[in-house]
Amino acid sequence: MEGPGRGIRGTAWTVILFLLLPLAVVLPVSLTDQPYLSLPLHTLSLQYYANLLHSADWQSSILQSLLVACVSAGIAVILGTLCAIGCWRMGDHWAKAIQALMLIPIVVPTIVYALGLYRFYAQLGLLDTLLGIILAHAVTAIPYVVVIVSTGLSGVDARLEQAARSLGAGPIVAMRRVLLPLLRPAMLSGGLFAFVHSWDELVIVLFIAGRRVFTLPRRMWDGINDKLDPTLAAVAVLLVILSAALLFLDLWLRARREQT
Amino acid sequence: MNSGAYRWFPIPALLLLVLAYLVPLSQVLMISVTDPELGLGNYALLVTSPSIARVLATTARICVITATAALVLGYVVAYCMTQARPAVRRLMLVGVLLPLWVSVLARSFAWVTLLRREGVVNSVLMGAGLIQSPLPLMWNEFGVSVGMIHTMLPYAILPMASHMRGLDPALMAAARGMGASRAQAFRRVFLPLSLPGVIGAGVLVLIFSLGFYVTPVLLGGGRVRMVAEYISLQIQELLQWGTGTMLATALIAAIGLLLFLLSRAVGLRALSGAR
Amino acid sequence: MTQEFGDDLRLLGRRGLLGGVAAASFAPSLVRAAVPEVVMCNWGGDAMKAFNDAFVGPYATSTGGKLVLDGSGPTNGKIRAMVEAKNVSWDLCDSGVTGLAELATRNLLAPIDYTVVDKSKVEPAFAYEYGVCNYMFSSVMAWDTTRVKGTPTMADFFDLKKIPGKRMIRKDSQAMIEMALVADGVPIDKLYPMDVDRAIAKFQTIKDSILTWDTGAQSQSLLRDGEVSMGWLWHTRATLLKREPNSKIDWNFTGGVLQPGLWVVPKGNPAGKQAMMAIASMQDPANQVKLLSALGNGPANPKAAPLVPEDLRSIDPGYPSNAAVQSLINADWYHDNHGKTFKRFLDFLSA
Repeated sequence: MEGPGRGIRGTAWTVILFLLLPLAVVLPVSLTDQPYLSLPLHTLSLQYYANLLHSADWQSSILQSLLVACVSAGIAVILGTLCAIGCWRMGDHWAKAIQALMLIPIVVPTIVYALGLYRFYAQLGLLDTLLGIILAHAVTAIPYVVVIVSTGLSGVDARLEQAARSLGAGPIVAMRRVLLPLLRPAMLSGGLFAFVHSWDELVIVLFIAGRRVFTLPRRMWDGINDKLDPTLAAVAVLLVILSAALLFLDLWLRARREQT
Repeated sequence: MNSGAYRWFPIPALLLLVLAYLVPLSQVLMISVTDPELGLGNYALLVTSPSIARVLATTARICVITATAALVLGYVVAYCMTQARPAVRRLMLVGVLLPLWVSVLARSFAWVTLLRREGVVNSVLMGAGLIQSPLPLMWNEFGVSVGMIHTMLPYAILPMASHMRGLDPALMAAARGMGASRAQAFRRVFLPLSLPGVIGAGVLVLIFSLGFYVTPVLLGGGRVRMVAEYISLQIQELLQWGTGTMLATALIAAIGLLLFLLSRAVGLRALSGAR
Repeated sequence: MTQEFGDDLRLLGRRGLLGGVAAASFAPSLVRAAVPEVVMCNWGGDAMKAFNDAFVGPYATSTGGKLVLDGSGPTNGKIRAMVEAKNVSWDLCDSGVTGLAELATRNLLAPIDYTVVDKSKVEPAFAYEYGVCNYMFSSVMAWDTTRVKGTPTMADFFDLKKIPGKRMIRKDSQAMIEMALVADGVPIDKLYPMDVDRAIAKFQTIKDSILTWDTGAQSQSLLRDGEVSMGWLWHTRATLLKREPNSKIDWNFTGGVLQPGLWVVPKGNPAGKQAMMAIASMQDPANQVKLLSALGNGPANPKAAPLVPEDLRSIDPGYPSNAAVQSLINADWYHDNHGKTFKRFLDFLSA
């Protein structure tokens, strides 16, 4: 099959370079010898990586964020995918209403939700708890999953699933065997966005956290607000390296599988 | 056909939405008619306050610019990803996914480093003799748009790409086989088929950009005031909770109306992903 | 590390939905000590350690009680949310004149008990019904010495021909209105009631050259990076900039605005009257000088002046010779005018 023209491909790669541009800055900044976010002046230094690896505060924040982001993204992916599939099959006005409703968490400015959440959690005793943050992040991440999985579903031929059902498969089996494999890329990107949403979420955390819950964004905010602490650049670089390593490992494994 | 079982699928998500979102939200939105006094005084501000009108206009302008740029550029990337060999596609995917791991805070400061007066971009351009004095790339709507488009691109690319991959490549091949040029086959076959993905991504990106807070604050230099910052100021500093929650309510109504009109225009099935 | 993570996990259910399980593990903290714990909330960062070093130890020694810091930022919004939800977790909040204006007018604060807090140990202008000075700071002018020859005047801030380059102000009307009026020729002791129209008109003359800052760190980087040639910022940040190696930044107090950092007590605070004891304990001049040397925050207690070491006098905002060249912020004016002035100022910036 012939691909798109050279001009189109050139544009696509330019956009990808644009996406990577901030990374090209964050890497040298993480190696700065200065006490604030800046390009290195005289020499390269690993002090902010050392800070990250030796500071109990940063480690505790990373673990808290990891837990919150994994659990909330898990909840969002499961509930969001189910919701998208249900709406897809219903395909009526109810489905449309449910999908519009699911968008509300990204329409409402976060600070307004945070304010409501504060009053609500105060009654339930969930302020300044990880459970409280997880629930809030899960519900605000569902829209991403619903939108992306719905978009993925619109490319799926409903007859495939109907065929499976007519051969005697129940809805659960039909979903697992036919739909879920087709939806894997959409679920993965939805889950990724849900994870990143929680991993980067600051407004809710600042409003409902107190002395105990100190997620990574809050730690970074604390450092940047006060003195542009370059440790957040080191966090970004480590994450990029880690995720790049995982992605390349995946590429390599697939390439090997295709060869054999 | 027995689709009865599927009716239950959205229930868990709806339960979570109602309990953890709509209940606390509705309590707080009530403030818009009770604070500082009972009545619709806050809603009158929508038509009487020039500063709110300006904030909303700025927000709409930047969101439309951001969403359009992210969709057009993102479409090109998604299209190339779909058409590329698997290895190249995954490489492109890596390029799209990596920036997600850099927090919005770190990214904003990277843009400051790149775009400020004595920043990397201006230094390179001046070193190359292309410009005589630094370009105003930051502390204005341009800088804010660059930062927002960058953040939004992955959210535009991934839904469009995952939708395009579900399309049947045989259709394009058939069109070509019947003598259509590459451009014709794209315009007549691929583009219309890929539209639901574009609409899904567009809704996500447009709505998502409404809520931007950090990027306009850090890259706008105080000049670019978007609705999220305005609302936050009302709630956190000025304690004008009525005004802040009124604006949130108005946003929900405006987006609801937009979705309604959109579903009328493109058909509700395309929007809900149903066939 | 594992220990810490264990603690984190336990947070999952702090007296929440899993309350039954969690109550057991938190039982010890529910037992009320003889002296209730006092929670003091500030804005995080370096101030956490500095406040801890200066005040927590002495408070424990003098009262036998515990003073705990929370750095999550006592915004007006969060204080109102706490008070209205009757779920106040802070006893003392690090606020200011504008915070006082918004919070006190809405009846969200407990009055300061001046039978416990010693009014003679605080600058009289900064002891209010619902807030009392805990340190002093100034908004001052700093400049880039590579672009400004000699010591500039406040009027030079608006003279783009004499000194080219951008100007930096805070995205907050507080102190910025005062400084614009001083630059326009209003004497520092005749500022109030302020002519906001006149100040805005003054800013209008350099509008296209104005950049604003939100956080203290940002004000430092705009000057350090050469984005602006002059700027109005907190004296604490100006001090840090001047101390950096090879610094090109200089500043002075002339024409600046002396402001109080205020302790305010949210209504219904958990430790009740004990909060006043904590404020009283922090009035000790020697400990306030410790805060000055750590952060540059000036002592609230006028009796601290003789204790200020010679090398710190030039950065102590309330030191008599420094206070003499600055205006003194007027909380009464802000009580009546803050909200509308702030909105007006922001509208001007984004217009």
